[in-house]
Amino acid sequence: MFDIFYKLGWFFKQHWKRYTIAIVLLLIANIFEVIPPLLVGLAIDDIFQGELTQSILMQYVIILLVIAVVSYAMNYVWQYLLFGGANEIERRLRSMFMGHLLRMTPTFFERNRTGDLMARSTNDLKAISVTAGFGVLTLIDSTAYMLTLLITMGFVVSWKLTLAAIIPLPILAIVMQLLGKKIHNRYTSAQNAFGDLNDRVLESVAGVRVIRAYVQERADEKQFLEGTEDVYQKNVKVAFIDSLFNPLTKILTGISYMIGLGYGSHLVFTQTITLGELVAFNVYLGMLIWPMFAVGELINIMQRGNASMDRVNGTLSYQEEVVDIENPTNASALSAISFSNSGFQYPSSTVRNLSNVNVTLKQGDTLGIVGKTGSGKTTFVKQLLKEYPVGEGEISIGDVSIDQQTKDHVRAWIGYVPQDHVLFSKSVRENILFGSDGATEKDVMDALRMAHFGQDLQMLPEGLETLVGEKGVALSGGQKQRISIARALIKDPAVLILDDSLSAVDAKTEANILDNIRRERSGKTTIITTHRLSAVEHADWVIVLDEGQVVEEGTHDQLLANKKWYFQQYERQQVQESLLGEVRS
Amino acid sequence: MSVGKRLYQYALFFKKTIILALLMLTVSVGAELVGPFIAKKMIDDHILGIEQPWFESDDTKDAVSYDGTFYKRGDYFEEGEGRGQEARIYQMGTRFFFVDEPDAFSGEGERSFDNGKLTFSTQDGDIKFGAQELSGKEVLAFYQPEIPRIIMLVLLYFVLMVVAAIFHFGQGYTLQRSANRIIQKMRTDLFSHIQRLPINYFDKLPAGKVVARITNDTEAIRELYVQVLSQFFYSGVYITGIFVALFILDPKLATICLLLLPILYIWMVIYRKYASKYNHVVRSKVSEINASIYESIQGMTIIQAFRREQKKQQEFEKMNDTHFNYQNKLLSLNSLMSHNLVSILRNITFVTFIWYFGSGAIGSESVVTVGVLYAFVDYITRLFQPVTGIVNQLANLEIALVAGERVFELLDEEGEEVKDSRISRYKGHVEFDRVSFAYKKEDYVLKNLSFEAKPGETIGLVGHTGSGKSSIMNLLFRFYDCQKGEIRIDGKNIKEYPRQTIRDHMGIVLQDPYLFTGTISSNVSLNDSRISRDKVEQALKDVGADRVLKHLEQGLDEPVIEKGGTMSSGQRQLISFARALAFNPSILILDEATSSVDTETESIIQEAMETLKTGRTTFIIAHRLSTIKNADQILVLDRGEIVEKGSHDHLMALRGKYFQMYQLQQGNMQVG
Repeated sequence: MFDIFYKLGWFFKQHWKRYTIAIVLLLIANIFEVIPPLLVGLAIDDIFQGELTQSILMQYVIILLVIAVVSYAMNYVWQYLLFGGANEIERRLRSMFMGHLLRMTPTFFERNRTGDLMARSTNDLKAISVTAGFGVLTLIDSTAYMLTLLITMGFVVSWKLTLAAIIPLPILAIVMQLLGKKIHNRYTSAQNAFGDLNDRVLESVAGVRVIRAYVQERADEKQFLEGTEDVYQKNVKVAFIDSLFNPLTKILTGISYMIGLGYGSHLVFTQTITLGELVAFNVYLGMLIWPMFAVGELINIMQRGNASMDRVNGTLSYQEEVVDIENPTNASALSAISFSNSGFQYPSSTVRNLSNVNVTLKQGDTLGIVGKTGSGKTTFVKQLLKEYPVGEGEISIGDVSIDQQTKDHVRAWIGYVPQDHVLFSKSVRENILFGSDGATEKDVMDALRMAHFGQDLQMLPEGLETLVGEKGVALSGGQKQRISIARALIKDPAVLILDDSLSAVDAKTEANILDNIRRERSGKTTIITTHRLSAVEHADWVIVLDEGQVVEEGTHDQLLANKKWYFQQYERQQVQESLLGEVRS
Repeated sequence: MSVGKRLYQYALFFKKTIILALLMLTVSVGAELVGPFIAKKMIDDHILGIEQPWFESDDTKDAVSYDGTFYKRGDYFEEGEGRGQEARIYQMGTRFFFVDEPDAFSGEGERSFDNGKLTFSTQDGDIKFGAQELSGKEVLAFYQPEIPRIIMLVLLYFVLMVVAAIFHFGQGYTLQRSANRIIQKMRTDLFSHIQRLPINYFDKLPAGKVVARITNDTEAIRELYVQVLSQFFYSGVYITGIFVALFILDPKLATICLLLLPILYIWMVIYRKYASKYNHVVRSKVSEINASIYESIQGMTIIQAFRREQKKQQEFEKMNDTHFNYQNKLLSLNSLMSHNLVSILRNITFVTFIWYFGSGAIGSESVVTVGVLYAFVDYITRLFQPVTGIVNQLANLEIALVAGERVFELLDEEGEEVKDSRISRYKGHVEFDRVSFAYKKEDYVLKNLSFEAKPGETIGLVGHTGSGKSSIMNLLFRFYDCQKGEIRIDGKNIKEYPRQTIRDHMGIVLQDPYLFTGTISSNVSLNDSRISRDKVEQALKDVGADRVLKHLEQGLDEPVIEKGGTMSSGQRQLISFARALAFNPSILILDEATSSVDTETESIIQEAMETLKTGRTTFIIAHRLSTIKNADQILVLDRGEIVEKGSHDHLMALRGKYFQMYQLQQGNMQVG
């Protein structure tokens, strides 16, 4: 359970000064906590026996004031240091976590669901942070502070009375522990019910048109009511246990006080303790309740922290899949791209996703890749991006195998437009500049023009400064695709990869964009994967993939003459493919 | 009305239980606060009571035998019982002395014992009495009458604790239950309200935000009712109780303690001011950080492909550092002003306390008894618990108020009641009569539009984005209402029916079909009792979905996850076709999907559309011309106006826009 402190050892070592000072001050402050009741007890005895004089009174008052001020200062320092450590570790781990994510490749993200990673970066980091701050505090309080109190009570007042009075307290700690477990389970189930409710509402809102069109409002409300009732029932179950905590504490501490007063009086009668001591004793009894709880808290925090630490470490220890070799040979110029006998299989796949592919692409060529969904088109381009370890065969860029080159170097050649358009919650301008930092205003406008976004830009409420992405304005799929294209174009890359990235624009716009690209990127390489064959008509070479293999290749005309899949598909699309959407009237 | 007031009004829905809870709380606090009184009685009457005057007596109840004589405490004599000579017992530390003298000194001054003489040193000089020191046995004998009384008191104390505990449980549980009921009511109110809201509300606001109001914001308010309210109630009652007790004990000191209240209040105001500022920044940074992680995970390929890892990390560090700095500010504030300040206040109260009683005690008769002192210390220590409790809840209060503001904002949006009246199936004769419509003022997207669809006809709508195709659908469904002209179904203006009534005989297939979590079957029937399982099966078969779905292991009961994530777009399309078919509407609107599906599925979809069309008036918003070639009427829309109208052949013969479009399609073919 205390493994967590070992696992966080590196951090404690780095911050040993902080923790040493904090803990020492905390210990001293704890002792100072014990003194005021003691003084009050003594004062009561003095008052009662008429032994109080002006000077003794002044002494009491001054000592108490000094203690108050000194412990205030000490409390501030240790709290700031101790919890500051918790903040520090949260920041460090979060930064490490993000850094790690940024090194991870798609396989990692396939294996770890986004929700799960998010939970790790939020709840789990928080739990670890709590361990490093509050956890340390409870550790000290449940051990050192408790001992200080017990020893004071024992030595100053009476051991017999101390032992008798604290009998109920361990029982209290155990009961709380048990209830804590129970409430945790019930709470989890309430949270799950809440999560279900959340999902249901999301569907009701997202599917609002369907619900209204089919007049299902009442049914939807009824379903929602059932959901809230479920949440209610589960929360009430939590409330039941929750409401037990305080009363049980009252009863058990009540027993303690009862023993303290009853047996304490007896000790006064038998002349073992004085009345003032009895009063002070009861004050200490009150102070003991927190350290007793701290024991229970400590167990919870440690367990939670440990589990969280393991989860975070589990993520952090995931090895980078595509590691750069130690002495890379980076190609100096991009002369050609070639795949020879290339094969690849995704870690999670049961079939070969690419096999025995041989393609050579001269600089300045345009390569078209077509084929059914799942035929390996995207796999092909992802090989160039070094997102996965290279499979069989060899892929080279500029006559050097990409194995021998660093990821950074290879990716520097490429401008990539993915299938699913990813934009960030930033302005249109920032999203485009994502492709190239140093670009000028003119570059941005050029890229937008090439991506055929000029007209759309005028429609946006704040032009280039319009916020897009999750929090921004809703863009159509086609608009997002075109911004993505602009983002790649502004980089003016040696190799442009369009991975089915024109699917949401109409044929006319597509033709327009492709024209622009052909015209302004002469001498540079372009790779286009697509469903729509019109996009590759002008390519220098087209390959047709099926189940990871090249089944046909050639120029557009050659492939038509082949009269195979490409030809059939082309015929079919001729009939179907005419989107009226953007026809100028 | 302020948010606080409205939240209060929500609470009033359950005022009976809340009042019950408050009563229980009062009983509980009362019982609890009697505790120190009992301790006071024990100390004053029974432990110190031994210093009260004793008198010689007969061997009766409560009489103690000492040195062959019986003595009895003055206050234990029955009425009319004869009293003998007075005697006193004095305590010094743990030693006890017996003074057998009448009218003995009441006992102030420093005590000392020497040579059989007990000396009291007072300002007026020493007073000496002849005294015998009592042995342990003898002391115990003198205490003997007190023991059963003390036991009674201790038991009473325990009983009161149990009563306090039971009532405390009762109030906690009751209050939490009603708090949860309040929230349930608030949630159902919100949910029914969103059913009433016009559809444009959903077009304006992302789904996530709407959901957050119904669930997360209400959850924050739940915290308010459960934690904050009960803590405030508890603290309020508790503090009041303590002051009542303090006033009973010693009005003067209690008045001095009242000074604590404004101090606590001022402190709370200052603390809250800074804490809420820092908390606000911390919370917003947390959400930014989370959003950034989320976005990075989603867009990792892009970040890496564009080699932006370092820049992303830098951006991230900036947020992380701001978060860290504000967390430290908050920490500093808390270390200065939270528990720490409470404990210094407590210590200062102790100082005042000692000063007050101490100076009162010097050189004069003791103003109060030790029991009162004990009770005072106890109450003052207790006074600070509820205060800390309130402080701990302030942040939650802040969050809840902000959440409340958003919730009420949503509830204040204007809506329209959901109506349950139904009419029998109309034939589906649709007329648009000089209809004009604008989403925004004066910015008409449909201009003076007129057309007629006879029952059973198929109408094709073509035109580019923004030509008004979708607006026609929105108007027909009364998702929106037109500003001018009227739309009639079977000769009756649709505005004369409630929206739900008119929609009852309409079906819709959206461009991006929406599937709900459940099963394929539940997605077809929408769990509507009118749609039997046979009907579901038949509908799926009729649209040809059985062919596409046949490989699914559980057939009709195959689970569908959120938005139909595991299904292909073709499959989703077919399920939503089956849904429309099962509801057998007399008017159907089909928004053709643009996204490419594989060719096999596409042909199935084409066939399914034919099936769907039969026996009902169908509007098809077409993106592919081939889909509507067979339509009875094709409406070519341009900027909100019908520019051409007629069958395919008719429009071709017209050699107008439609013809042009068609030519363009041919042209496209020739390019290939």
